Amino acid sequence: MSAVAEPPAASPARAPAPRERGLRLGPVLLTLPAALTLLLFLIAPLAAFAVYSFLTGSLYEVSGPLTLENYREIAQSELNRKLARNSLIVGLLAAGSSVVIALPIAYWLRYTTSRTKTLVLFLIVASFLASYLVRIYAWRTILGAEGVINSGLGALGIVDEPLTFLVFNRFAVTLALVHIYLPYVILVIYAGLGPLQPAYLEAAQDLGAGWVQRWRRVVLPAVAAPVGSALLFVFVLSAADYVTPQFLGGTASVMIGVQVQVAFQGTGDYAGGAAISFALLAGFLVCYGLVALGLRLARLDRLRFAS
Amino acid sequence: MSGDPRVRIEGVSHRYGAVAALEDVSLDIADGEFVTLLGPSGCGKTTLLRIVAGFERPSAGRVLLAGEDVTGRPAHKRATNMVFQRPTLFPHLDVFANVAFGLQVAGVGKADQRARVREALELVRLEGYERRRSHELSGGQMQRIALARALVNRPKVLLLDEPLSALDLKIRLDMEVELRRVHRETGATFVYVTHDQREAMALSDRIAVMNAGRIEQIGAPTDVYRRPTSVFAAQFVGDANVLPVDVVEAGDEESTVRLGDTRHKVRCPRPQPGPAWLVLRPEAVEMRAGTPDETPGTLRGIVRDVAFRGTGFGCRIELPALGAQVKAEGRGATPPFDVDDEVGIDWRPESCWLLPRERGDDTPPPPVTSEPESDPAQARA
Amino acid sequence: MSPGRFTGLVTVAGMLFLWLPLLVVVLFSLHTTASLSFPFDGFSLRWYERISESPEVRAAARNSLVVATSTALVTLVLATLAAYGMSRSRSRWRAPLSLLFFLPITLPGLFIGIALLIAFSRLEYSLSLVTVTVAHLVYVFPFFFLLARAALERLDPALEEAAADLGATGWTIFRRVTLPQVWPVLVGAACLAFALSFDEFIITFFVVGPDPTLPLFIWSSLRRTIDPSINAISTLLLAFTVLLFVVTFALTSWGERRRRGTVDPLVLTGAQEPR
Repeated sequence: MSAVAEPPAASPARAPAPRERGLRLGPVLLTLPAALTLLLFLIAPLAAFAVYSFLTGSLYEVSGPLTLENYREIAQSELNRKLARNSLIVGLLAAGSSVVIALPIAYWLRYTTSRTKTLVLFLIVASFLASYLVRIYAWRTILGAEGVINSGLGALGIVDEPLTFLVFNRFAVTLALVHIYLPYVILVIYAGLGPLQPAYLEAAQDLGAGWVQRWRRVVLPAVAAPVGSALLFVFVLSAADYVTPQFLGGTASVMIGVQVQVAFQGTGDYAGGAAISFALLAGFLVCYGLVALGLRLARLDRLRFAS
Repeated sequence: MSGDPRVRIEGVSHRYGAVAALEDVSLDIADGEFVTLLGPSGCGKTTLLRIVAGFERPSAGRVLLAGEDVTGRPAHKRATNMVFQRPTLFPHLDVFANVAFGLQVAGVGKADQRARVREALELVRLEGYERRRSHELSGGQMQRIALARALVNRPKVLLLDEPLSALDLKIRLDMEVELRRVHRETGATFVYVTHDQREAMALSDRIAVMNAGRIEQIGAPTDVYRRPTSVFAAQFVGDANVLPVDVVEAGDEESTVRLGDTRHKVRCPRPQPGPAWLVLRPEAVEMRAGTPDETPGTLRGIVRDVAFRGTGFGCRIELPALGAQVKAEGRGATPPFDVDDEVGIDWRPESCWLLPRERGDDTPPPPVTSEPESDPAQARA
Repeated sequence: MSPGRFTGLVTVAGMLFLWLPLLVVVLFSLHTTASLSFPFDGFSLRWYERISESPEVRAAARNSLVVATSTALVTLVLATLAAYGMSRSRSRWRAPLSLLFFLPITLPGLFIGIALLIAFSRLEYSLSLVTVTVAHLVYVFPFFFLLARAALERLDPALEEAAADLGATGWTIFRRVTLPQVWPVLVGAACLAFALSFDEFIITFFVVGPDPTLPLFIWSSLRRTIDPSINAISTLLLAFTVLLFVVTFALTSWGERRRRGTVDPLVLTGAQEPR
């Protein structure tokens, strides 16, 4: 028997368990159907997809022992480098432009007292619902040599020759991509500005900051995380796009997504296509990691605003 | 321009749409003064403060700082700094970066920044907190950092918008002491907004009592308390019993009023004969036990409620002959009366005050309940 | 902190940018001639007549309808259960499950489409509207889950606790306490799921069989000739989804207003917690 009586440790059995609200049976079980569905129809297929990249491809089939041959080919291919570069540029341009345009709009939405705010929100969310294909089609008819812009300018007598630089190039592809993703980015940044009450901006202004300083020191840090996630989102989806470059891009602006699509539905090189896809995915993961790391280091990832 | 007041508010009016928040308000604040704008929510005090800060542009009138017309100047170009109702410390910055914010915006050198931040933190007694983050601080600490953040810029005018209203009572009382000390040590001009009259009286050199967009009375706390110029001011600043009386004899030093059957003497500068309001503070009410015969000249009353308050007690006494209720306060551990006791009410001539009354107006307006004013601009956000 | 003129102008420009191209499509769907350029020759409904007579358009529209409805219904069940489970639990599985549930949004449609193509080909399951529905299910799930979870987390847990205290158990609590409060958001999310499925192209492209959905039909039409009949189909597609949205918005507004007396558009879209 020890001479010193041990103080009763906080016994885990006694400590009140965190209250599980509502149902008694492990509520997590309710997620099972959805989880199984996704595991079955997303994770498993993706896993198969990954495995394919290590096999040998031939006309719509794969075979053979596991090999790194596909990846080696990608690393050495001049074409792939060019495509990757193109995709990178378009992705960055689309992401950057979307964010730059979305920031002032989201700011206006957040801090305006005008009654048109609801209308604008409605317009943004409604445009969200326009089909991807309809948008691409719209831009094609607008930017083309016989499109709306050119024929309009011609009818007004402003130009004699149609402007050919509008379409079949990187500009058109980027424009269409921005058009597609802008509503999403606006909403994400708008939501991110929610906790940043006007008092913070007033405090900054009171301390001598004009609008440039306020943006630099208060607004942008506050939305760094949403902006980061929006940039990633648009970049990833744009770089992997395969329809827009085919429809609006020219021969010089082919992107990786197109190559993958062609591999699967054209040449039938499943393994090669898979390898490109996963190399792309690996690249994306690196980007996610870098952005997350950057935010964490700058301590901008988990801001808590007093309400 | 050494003769100019530090802050001059000249004929300022402000409307939000059809609502008039301020009506022709004028006020001079001297260098180094501690002036409080006191009033219920909606009286316009916060609006006025924000106009001085530069966040709102008045619909009419001018604001001058040290003789210079700054009415059109935005907030970041004025030599004022503000402490807001909620700390609004920037969560992505640590305490040092928060406090140094204004200095960094102004381009002050790193070494200077460090020295001045240290000085500011010492002023609010939070030395060594430079590396902390706002979520690690308590409410009171956050407000002190906010205070440091404002003062580090050495503003000539410090504006404070109900900075203590979000804090617990105990902390609030400590912070009041801190604020007075900081005011003394910095010598800056403080313009303070609150709905809490006790706070106003504890802190200020002068109080401007505001109601419905106008300043009803300006004066030192004792003046406003002892000699209110309106029923509103009487009821808002401190507790008051307001009883309808008639002045029957108006003298230079002493006058006589009639209240029900009884007559009382009042010491108050020459009032007009006729109807008046008698303002009687609860602590001035004297209660005497006994039958009407034993206590001649007093108002008869029945005790309806007794509350022990630690520092003393409070009573509510009904005066059946007048159909009125009176609040009384006293010191002592045990309240001397019980509910349903009969008492006689009286007071000393110098402990009351008279205000004009319209004939026929027998019921005093109900006291305005004071709540922290929600900033209209913020409420819209 | 009122926004200045500049941000207001950018907003106006932004709205024009978003909507003018779509309105141009609508405009030319009413063109008398087959040209898609100015000058504008006059209004006519001939293209709408043409597509309404086309059996292929009708078939494609029907297919889309079937797929979208199935997608919406299945997602409704799966995602509501999942959201409810997640919001009421503190299990350590929550983080990985969350990751799983949001994964489809983070992946480009290319990957999801091809992965499913591979899976179906491996299983030797032929492509059809069923495979399309499965693909849409995966794609739409995160959107629904997000909205449902936001709505469920906003509910006051005290209400369910009170019900439990009064003797109600799991399903009863859900049916009689939770559901009556969140059903407007769930219906709205289901409509969103429906609209997203109806519009979907990128993933569908890979898993579609002999029966096309409407967007797929538009795509194949583009290969043949580009004329205002495509504008007509697109306009109908657009009008249909926007109308659906308006109905959803009105419904969830009404639900929100009934519950808390006021409406915050951002709370409705699930993008923000109410303050």
